[in-house]
Amino acid sequence: MAYRILIVDDEPALQQLVGEILSGAGYETDSALSCAQAMERLQAAPPDAVLLDVMLPDGDGFSLLGKMQAVRDLPVLFLSARDEDEDRLKGLGLGADDYITKPFLPQELLLRLRSVLRRVYREQLQVSRLGDTEIDWGKGTVRRGGAQTALTAKEFTLLKTLWDARGNIVTTDALCEALWDGPLVGYENTLMVHIRRLREKVEADPSHPRYLLTVRGLGYRLKREGER
Amino acid sequence: MNLRSFLKGTLLMTVSAALIALVTVVGFLAFIYYNSSGGRDWGVPIQQVSDALDRDGTEYRFKGEELLETGCWAMLLDQQGQVVWSFRKPQEVPEQYTVADVAAFTRWYLQDYPVQCWVREDGLLVVGSPKGSLWKHDIAMDIRTLLQTPFWFGGIFLLALGCVLGLSYRAARYWFRQAQQARDAARSEWINGVSHDIRTPLSVVMGYAAQLEEAPDLSPTRQKQAAIIRTQSQAIRDLVNDLNLTMRLDCAMQPLRKETVHPDSFLRQTAADFLNGGMAEGFPLEMDLPAKPLPAVEADPFLLRRAVNNLLTNCVRHNAPGCSIRLGARARQGGLVLWVEGGTPAAPPAPAGPDHPLEPDGGAAHGTGLRLVAQIAAAHSGQASFYVGPPFRCELWLPLGQIKSGP
Repeated sequence: MAYRILIVDDEPALQQLVGEILSGAGYETDSALSCAQAMERLQAAPPDAVLLDVMLPDGDGFSLLGKMQAVRDLPVLFLSARDEDEDRLKGLGLGADDYITKPFLPQELLLRLRSVLRRVYREQLQVSRLGDTEIDWGKGTVRRGGAQTALTAKEFTLLKTLWDARGNIVTTDALCEALWDGPLVGYENTLMVHIRRLREKVEADPSHPRYLLTVRGLGYRLKREGER
Repeated sequence: MNLRSFLKGTLLMTVSAALIALVTVVGFLAFIYYNSSGGRDWGVPIQQVSDALDRDGTEYRFKGEELLETGCWAMLLDQQGQVVWSFRKPQEVPEQYTVADVAAFTRWYLQDYPVQCWVREDGLLVVGSPKGSLWKHDIAMDIRTLLQTPFWFGGIFLLALGCVLGLSYRAARYWFRQAQQARDAARSEWINGVSHDIRTPLSVVMGYAAQLEEAPDLSPTRQKQAAIIRTQSQAIRDLVNDLNLTMRLDCAMQPLRKETVHPDSFLRQTAADFLNGGMAEGFPLEMDLPAKPLPAVEADPFLLRRAVNNLLTNCVRHNAPGCSIRLGARARQGGLVLWVEGGTPAAPPAPAGPDHPLEPDGGAAHGTGLRLVAQIAAAHSGQASFYVGPPFRCELWLPLGQIKSGP
């Protein structure tokens, strides 16, 4: 089922652009040009998430967020031209799930929206593929060439963290934070051991990994399928 | 109001106040002088009165009645204090005086009559004026104090001048700040407004350019053109962001939100975010961090990240199609030094390496990007140094006072 996103912005050109980006990514969209229209659309066809501008002709997005939350508990992402810290902090402080400042790249918008939806709706991946390796998130196992191997808790967390950010570098600090809730100090070697063991389970040739790549001095990156 | 106007205003106020003080003091002294016995007589020319009084044998002949106005009177005392001649002498004024009486009335009053005295060969001439018509006061001063008077006057004058100068400086500074704040607020509001208005259309341009870049029905040339539009739009976005932040830092409108920052993980995350942003293809990034963890610093991570990002972006923009970039940090010179090094900047002609630093603000040729880096360093009581290279290198130094012990 496709998520339904309500876009609240008084600029028709931006409405159209965001609508096209979201439609292209498989979302259903609805639009409102003002606070009043947004409340109408919210009552008529409740969306799964709202992209909300701050400055609207009949009010501001901050107040509208409060009114929307009174009606329905929805994930809301601000999409605003106001980039000052005070505005960002105010928006997030009021309970928004993210604050994106204009101008933005379509990919950035999609990634951040996807991240919020995944977090809010607890989107559960069941099975994923990494090359010829099948990852079963429900069981916590990987299957390669017909052989199934169980992941340890640390390996599972490591793989999940890298998978959620696949294509991007995840620093060693962020991985240590995910694994041990603490800073990197003292865990570098342990992290390397976990990475090596994980490679043995997901890579055809762990000595020459194709997917779980080291970015020297920074961290690791899980390559996307089809990525060069 | 600029600094020159501020100084001119202060100077003008001080000179005006000094002039007013000078005119007041001189006028007061002149008034005292010309209306006291030190300047002129009291209205009765006693010497002329004395000259008009002749002795003819045992008789006195007075020819100066017109010298004494109505109510004025005169008398002559002999060496024994006896009145030997008088003119319009009031009844209550005695005929005989002791030495003590004479000493008293020469300094003060005689029966409440203000009197003047003139010594003659044949005695003492006393001229009286109507009661309540003149004020007399006996003044005596230590001679050393009298000699010190010019210094005292000078000192008091300088003290007064200092007070006036200080007050006028404070007043001028207050007005200067008020004017500057109003001007800064107007400037910031204007730039905020412009940047706000530019962001929405820029979103549309960037969004469609990014979509065209991926459109399969466009030729590679057209896709490349779309990529250029997208990249240049991002450059405008960065410029708008830099301009806004520069303005806020300039006008002290950007609060510093300091947190404990661990330089190692901070730099790794900043570098990872930069590489993940996809703007650095063809620019291998090498981290240069010591094996031992660096000490933590108290800094605004948002601003520091912005500074490092600007330096990385600067390297990428001026070194197409690619060059290696080094990002590192060390604890030295009593502080923490973060640096970005790579390629050569396109804008300025390159004189030489670290011995030839650029201007502290990165040089006007670099626009707002490097200027912002220098401002962020200054906001943390640190310093940014730019070296033309090759390779181009920027060092951010944060002072020792902000360093905490390592994690």
